[in-house]
Amino acid sequence: MMRMKTQIILAGVGGQGVLFSSRIFSELGLKLGLEVTGAETHGMSQRGGSVVAHIKIGGYQSPIVREGTADILYSLDENEAYKNLHFLRQGGLCFVNMTDGGRFDKNIRDHLKKKDITFHAFDASGTAMELGSVRAANICLVGFSVGTGLVPFTYDDLKDVLQSISRKPDLEHNLKIFDTGVDLGKKQ
Amino acid sequence: MSQKKDIRVLLGNVAIARGILEAGCHVITSYPGTPSSEIMPAAVAFKKEMGLDVYTEWSVNEKVAYDNALAASIAGKRSAVAMKQVGLNVAADSLMSSAYQGVVGGMLIVSCDDPGPHSSQTEQDSRFFAMFAKVPAYDPSTPQEAMAMIKDAYDLSETFQIPVIFRPTIRLSHGKQSVRLSPPDIIERPAKFEKDPGRWAATPRFRLHLHTKLNESLRQIQERFEKDERWNYEVGENSEANLGIITCSTSYTVLMDLLEELNLKDKVNILKIGTPYPLPHKKVVDFIGRHDKVLIIEETDVVIESQIIDKSKVLGRFTGHIPLQGELTPNVIYGILAKFFGEEGVADLEVKVDDELAKLVQDLGLPVRRPTLCAGCSERAAFWAIRRALPKAIYTSDIGCYTLGLNLGAVDTVIDMGAGITLASGFYQAYHQDKNDVPIVATMGDSTFYHSGTTSLINAVYNNARFVLVLLDNEITAMTGMQPTPGIGITANGTEGQKIPLEELIKGCGIKWLRNIDPYDVREMISLLKEAHAYTKSEDGGIAVIIARRGCVIRYPEALEGQKIKVEITDDCDGCRYCIDFFECPALHFDEENERVEIDRKLCVDCGVCINVCARKAIVPVGEEGQ
Repeated sequence: MMRMKTQIILAGVGGQGVLFSSRIFSELGLKLGLEVTGAETHGMSQRGGSVVAHIKIGGYQSPIVREGTADILYSLDENEAYKNLHFLRQGGLCFVNMTDGGRFDKNIRDHLKKKDITFHAFDASGTAMELGSVRAANICLVGFSVGTGLVPFTYDDLKDVLQSISRKPDLEHNLKIFDTGVDLGKKQ
Repeated sequence: MSQKKDIRVLLGNVAIARGILEAGCHVITSYPGTPSSEIMPAAVAFKKEMGLDVYTEWSVNEKVAYDNALAASIAGKRSAVAMKQVGLNVAADSLMSSAYQGVVGGMLIVSCDDPGPHSSQTEQDSRFFAMFAKVPAYDPSTPQEAMAMIKDAYDLSETFQIPVIFRPTIRLSHGKQSVRLSPPDIIERPAKFEKDPGRWAATPRFRLHLHTKLNESLRQIQERFEKDERWNYEVGENSEANLGIITCSTSYTVLMDLLEELNLKDKVNILKIGTPYPLPHKKVVDFIGRHDKVLIIEETDVVIESQIIDKSKVLGRFTGHIPLQGELTPNVIYGILAKFFGEEGVADLEVKVDDELAKLVQDLGLPVRRPTLCAGCSERAAFWAIRRALPKAIYTSDIGCYTLGLNLGAVDTVIDMGAGITLASGFYQAYHQDKNDVPIVATMGDSTFYHSGTTSLINAVYNNARFVLVLLDNEITAMTGMQPTPGIGITANGTEGQKIPLEELIKGCGIKWLRNIDPYDVREMISLLKEAHAYTKSEDGGIAVIIARRGCVIRYPEALEGQKIKVEITDDCDGCRYCIDFFECPALHFDEENERVEIDRKLCVDCGVCINVCARKAIVPVGEEGQ
């Protein structure tokens, strides 16, 4: 079940679908009847620039997450993950899309461990690409996190949200990529 | 009969647009600028969704937008004009005068502030403009509150026949919230201008009378704000607490989340102010009177604080408790609270920053992505040609994507919209006075030229200035999110308006030397620039204008079809970094290991311009290596 209050940071670079992920979680909050606030921060209009979205579900008033208080960080890009780790609270969760998780900086990983932060690297882009749509890596990463059983959202709720916000031609594909992510998450 | 609740998560600006339509507004005008740009497209989308007959217009600048909305209000309709905070500088002349003359139908001036600043020249506080012009200001904290406030603002505007400033900050404009939508009020208001020269064409004698009336209106508005518990209210009834905080805008929401997180809600009482001008002074004085110390947390400047007469118990910017510049982020407000509660002995908040993590991340030496023109941007090609053709020139430029010509060393000044041309003519006159003419190249984008370039250019021609002007025409207002311009003649509704070609406009400004070029043809552009410069030096010369025209590569990707030149880097690359440092295309990156340049195929659009850039000819069309 969803905890009453959850703060999420979504990071990536332009074109990776950070804003779609942000929509997934804001619609999830609405569906659960919880208040949603959030913010989108991006640099000047350009391709390949950093994009960060904040989502706060369950009775927050301000749109932005304070450093050191986020429950979950999803990053679709390794470098953007490093840049946003400072948002995570002690004991938070971190999901990073990268081809080879072993390459994630060891010192930082040790530091996260000290802070009791659970770290998962997952090749969401590779998995989504195998299924024919590298642009759906965002959905794949969210699916993976649900599979691990660590996040406070249920499979059914997220699936409902995807069904309601996916463009019709993408729907079947999105669900398949989501399910594949979930299955791979379960194997963790 | 109960209707299903329509609750949606909306961007603040989208909620503002919705609120304006729900309030029965008839006419909406705007000029784009971060953080206000999303209001107009959202208004167009909602009016189509709800089948409303609302006139929506992208105007050519903020003053023009203001006057068009004002006329609708004088004719009795409800109007709104939306802009970014520095846009209100452009519209200030209209604002000051119309404050005296007032309106008939309600008029809302949405001026979006940008503390930070994230995407602006200044951090100016639009609420000061309300004080300066003597019009009331609303300062919403959340998208939902913004929607409710807009309805009240229209009522106030019509009751007192006065335009009203509505001031969201960027965190509201670009924040999101689940908000409850209502059906729009349908208000029948056929345009009906009632002639009244003493008001609508007031001479100075009548102006004194109007000023007297304005002051009386403000007194009554202040009384209304004193009584209004919707926008100005206290939170927390901690009779034990001897500390108070007066706050407003998104700072209020950040403060409330922090007090909740830190479990300090019972240590302090809050007075939330939603109408900072005219300040509900009695309410504020009463609140201060009941506490030993009162902290004022307001963004961006001292609008509330400076209206408080007796400051003996007040802490804020005047006492060094609040930073004088920058955004009041959650971390900054945390620091402010730590100092306040610490000094007053209420709580000992540890200001903890994970320095170790910051250092570890810093040690990774991650590439810093400074803002840069997109791969394939025609403006990069133009700037590179300018640098090559006239390397010693003074480069005056302007506001837009092309400000990033800075990175190519081809932009020396950026002041405000229009100054690309006025600074060029001003530099010319200043140097010419000393008989020391230097080459000057001004750059300006198409939308900026329509916004405020023509008056600058007419003045320069009239006064015999000489310089080269390059108009970077990408056929769209790219930086703020692809709004149409008079050059392409598409209106805010997506329907056809009249096209006004740059060429006709420039000739009309008295320019005798005008050429047109595709900046992708950099070799040709370099020789054209030299020719233009020679004209500025010739006996009967003057200002030379080059229109460097190619559609924005993001907005019109199809323009490249059939013209793509896929390039590769040959072994002749010796890693000199010239292309990286002086051309700065994001699709070219330096491979530190092999000490040579590589192409990022994900970003490269195959424009082929970089072929011209490498002196060693190591960038070649694919398949032509060694030819």
